[in-house]
Amino acid sequence: MARMKFLCDADRCIECNACVTACKNEHEVPWGINRRRVVTLNDGKPSERSISMACMHCTDAPCAAVCPVNCFFTTADAVVLHSKDLCIGCGYCFYACPFGAPQYPRVGNFGTRGKMDKCTYCAGGPEADLTTAEYEKYGSNRLAEGKLPLCAEMCSTKALLAGDGEIIAQIYKERVVKRGYGSGAWGWKTAYRETVAI
Amino acid sequence: MKQSDSKAMDRRKFLGAVGGASSAAVAAVSPMAATEAQAYDPGPNETKARYRESDHVKAFYRTNGYETLKK
Repeated sequence: MARMKFLCDADRCIECNACVTACKNEHEVPWGINRRRVVTLNDGKPSERSISMACMHCTDAPCAAVCPVNCFFTTADAVVLHSKDLCIGCGYCFYACPFGAPQYPRVGNFGTRGKMDKCTYCAGGPEADLTTAEYEKYGSNRLAEGKLPLCAEMCSTKALLAGDGEIIAQIYKERVVKRGYGSGAWGWKTAYRETVAI
Repeated sequence: MKQSDSKAMDRRKFLGAVGGASSAAVAAVSPMAATEAQAYDPGPNETKARYRESDHVKAFYRTNGYETLKK
């Protein structure tokens, strides 16, 4: 069965933030929450690289391991989702996540920051597919419509890849053969405990 | 030992006994004590795979790959 993954080809990312904007618009994400962000490393130096970062839907996700109310679950295609009905906004998942993916709608202490919000891989939540209840809590469910996450589909330089892990790894390998390895498949070792072997 | 010291010791023993008994009772009846945490399971319908390789998805793969993947 296909295993969903993200791959950010940092050699192609031009920090246009189209992925961030597309995500916010598609899911009507409230002010103060960015499910996806573009991080620039070594800004202004010859080795500058930009990386589009969101929830990577890790194998054996650390957010799920620390959640005190066990609100996380993983779908059959390996998308890590959570229930906002169960979330108590404790913030443990934010500390556990290696990518800083979990976000909270309000600033405050334990229990006052609101329900956690994060990238759903455009796969909605535990509510029935393509319903208003699902859209209001988690945003659109593009996967159920036979599409891929909009951030990747919107990427102007094709830096952000999404879909079946084996296929996007193959696409990345083809690029590496043409142009050289570059900065690698950033975050794959952390998220999936593997890297793209050439 | 003075009379007041003796009363204080009795009170401490009493409070110690009450505290020990109550914590033992909680440990005995608590259903969480021996159960392991279970991940939230919304049911097979919501955890099923939603991804399918539609024409839309194939077009994404085709336009992201080089010539070898465009077959």
